[in-house]
Amino acid sequence: MPDLVGLLSYATFFLVFASVFAIIVLGLNLQWGFTGLFNVGVAGFVAVGAYTSALLTGPEYPGQVGGFGLPVVVGWLGAMAASGLAALVVGVAALRLRHDYLAITTFGIAVIFQLVALNAQPLTGGPFGLQFVPKPLADAIPGNLAWNAAYLLTVAVLLGVVYAALERLVRSPWGRVLRAVREDEIAAESLGKRAFRLRLQAFVIGCMIMGLGGALYAHFVGYIAPEDFLPILTFQLWTMLIVGGSGNNRGAILGAVVVWALWTLSGGLLREIVPAQHQARAATLQVVLIGLMLMAILLVRPRGLLGEDAVVSRHARSVSPKPDVPTSPS
Amino acid sequence: MTAALRVEALEAGYEPGLPIVRGASLTVAAGEIFAVLGPNGAGKSTLIKAVAGLVPVFAGRVALLGRDITGRAAHRLAHEGLGFVPQTENVFVNLTVADNLDLAASILKVPRRQRLDALYALFPDLARQRKLLAGRLSGGQRQMLAVARALVGAPKVLILDEPSAGLSPKLVGLVFEKLADVRTGGVTIVLVEQNVKAALAIADRAAVLVEGRERIVGTGPDLARDPQVAALYLGHRGGGA
Amino acid sequence: MLQLVADGFVIGSVIALGAIGVTLVYSILQFANFAHGELLTWGAYLAWTVLVGITAVAGPIMPLGPFSFGWSLLASLVVAALATAALALLLDRVLFRRLRRRGSAITLIMASFGAALVLRNLLQFAYGAVPEYYSREIQVALRLVPRHVLGGLRITPDQLFVLGLTAFTVVALHVFLTRTTLGKAMRATSLNPQLARVTGIDVDGVIRATWIIGGVLAAVAGVFSGLTVQLWPQLGLDLLLPLFAAAILGGIGSVYGAVAGGFIVGLAESLSVPLIGAEYRAATAFAALIAILLVRPTGLFGERP
Repeated sequence: MPDLVGLLSYATFFLVFASVFAIIVLGLNLQWGFTGLFNVGVAGFVAVGAYTSALLTGPEYPGQVGGFGLPVVVGWLGAMAASGLAALVVGVAALRLRHDYLAITTFGIAVIFQLVALNAQPLTGGPFGLQFVPKPLADAIPGNLAWNAAYLLTVAVLLGVVYAALERLVRSPWGRVLRAVREDEIAAESLGKRAFRLRLQAFVIGCMIMGLGGALYAHFVGYIAPEDFLPILTFQLWTMLIVGGSGNNRGAILGAVVVWALWTLSGGLLREIVPAQHQARAATLQVVLIGLMLMAILLVRPRGLLGEDAVVSRHARSVSPKPDVPTSPS
Repeated sequence: MTAALRVEALEAGYEPGLPIVRGASLTVAAGEIFAVLGPNGAGKSTLIKAVAGLVPVFAGRVALLGRDITGRAAHRLAHEGLGFVPQTENVFVNLTVADNLDLAASILKVPRRQRLDALYALFPDLARQRKLLAGRLSGGQRQMLAVARALVGAPKVLILDEPSAGLSPKLVGLVFEKLADVRTGGVTIVLVEQNVKAALAIADRAAVLVEGRERIVGTGPDLARDPQVAALYLGHRGGGA
Repeated sequence: MLQLVADGFVIGSVIALGAIGVTLVYSILQFANFAHGELLTWGAYLAWTVLVGITAVAGPIMPLGPFSFGWSLLASLVVAALATAALALLLDRVLFRRLRRRGSAITLIMASFGAALVLRNLLQFAYGAVPEYYSREIQVALRLVPRHVLGGLRITPDQLFVLGLTAFTVVALHVFLTRTTLGKAMRATSLNPQLARVTGIDVDGVIRATWIIGGVLAAVAGVFSGLTVQLWPQLGLDLLLPLFAAAILGGIGSVYGAVAGGFIVGLAESLSVPLIGAEYRAATAFAALIAILLVRPTGLFGERP
């Protein structure tokens, strides 16, 4: 007889993570799908949100800043503010760059954030990270399963709110101009400063959403460390967006669920097959599998499950001259 | 006498299921100027690009001076006596005039001094502007450089894609005059043109392409007088595949 | 101070060699290859594998002179260079070439990011995460400059080897690119691929040559890194940002730029250690990158924006 409680517990865990990822991917979709900004530093902004919320709400940590013990909601808002601020600074400096330079720059930003997280012990707890990140209303709701379910409800509601807000936003006049700027680089140039401000706004809003996701993650797991925000996270999030279909908010959510499901399934499978002493190595195979999946999707169906047709190639016009036609049919 | 260029029932395009050239046939005699005309979307550019090895060929045959070159890669054709002048981006803008020509000479392994002296003699304006960056040249001079570059290898056949594009009528005249000089030197010329009047003024023979296939073929003067030609253009003014 | 400069040159050698590959691929294939770092890691590990194999068959090899390695490492380097070139060609054939036809630089970058993760994790799966070394021999550093002159200078024979071979490789590459038409063909292809074709350049051949050169140099850089520091699966990822910074700093498409950029980034990293601490070295590369992008995006020797 299957362990129902265990199954429910597992399902809740899975859905919380999937929903948190979905929120982050929605932020990424705003930047890439609707604005054409190539942000390869997603993990960094997620980290900023997570750490900010942990520091604002956590208990006193010996030898470092933080431990303000503020309510969790304040932490979440603070997370959004911090990642928004970081996005503003980065965006002002980097958003005028070509798309590929933006990719390298945002990648570098994430590396810097990770370095700070790893080394600035008085600020971030260094390699040990931050423990005892408070779980909201943990006293009020007894029992693990019940609390997890309540948290899932909260996250799901937030996901719904973010989704609805973004859908409104992209259909608004602001969103329409944004789309026009994305699709026609020349029109964008004629708009000049205005196009830059639009891009910056989209970048900041997107990063704020990512920061929120980071905070939600931190308060669910209760413990964050620098290795939670490695490039592999950025890669997972991008894979979710591409699999689901960029340019489409439902696609973003679907991609998050599908890829997370594949990730946990492959993890579980490897845990079953691989003997205990090789478990750590098996984890690397998980990454290989997901990596191969991303490459396969890009080769076979770049628009993903729900994506717009040729969204990816539409951006190519503004990146570099179209590569020449091959001399022979493949 | 072997035709300089013979195209037989050519089908070509960018996507395998969507041929833009649909069974076109042409014969260009050695030493003549041949114009390929037609409304927008008729497949003129695609046709010559397929001949030049830049666009995939699905069916049919192309022969250069009697040798089958169907589907052969563009870079090989450059070594085998075919010169091609693209419509846009037809010079290396970051290189000087001299470097543009030197590059071609190195790649095609021709005697540099001899070939370039001959070209500078044919294009005295370019000779004067040798050290200038190609990107700084005026539109007309740039076109001249593009043609000169294609002639470095002493090709037997020179193909040009809309050489008059973007040029004022006076410049068009100058360029076409130059092409006539080139032909006098023994080079067969095939040009795709939108500017029907100018093209037919220098063409010995021409073909009008419609929807991927040739409809009318004849001598330049004949086609210039032929009301069908005008009708084809007017009839397809808004459309064309 | 002198010591930091010398260390900077050694690091710079590794970065310079890797950056040449990055800049060539960037300018000829029109995309930032996030997987280039992994070519360095693979080169280093492939050499290590061959080295272990040779040692298993022929017994421990005597080090050559004052170096920590014997002929076996040199032989392994050659094999690794060829194998890494083959890996680069394979990657292009299987992945990048098909995506090139669709015409999107962004997709290529994303795919290269994915390929990097696959390559890195495959290595980690095969070799584990524990650092490896080519040799356990302790190297005695030679004192070249006494301590009272600008802090003095000590350098190990291995480091001198790295510096020397880098200089040789760069000169050899320069001669190769200028004497043969390949260099001109590569430049033309990076400027205008279709025009290059009709001019008579075999663009597919140029692309193959680009990957081969990039792969060989990456293997050499990887071995140098493994020789002077250590071998571990993160080797390439740690160097990726410095590689990009060097290539962009020098100007995309310029081999000399990449070399100059590599040494500048290496020196900056080394000189920054007393200021910001060794842990934040990677930040220096990033600072150099941002600075050049804001001030002069074409780089020092670049011609196209």
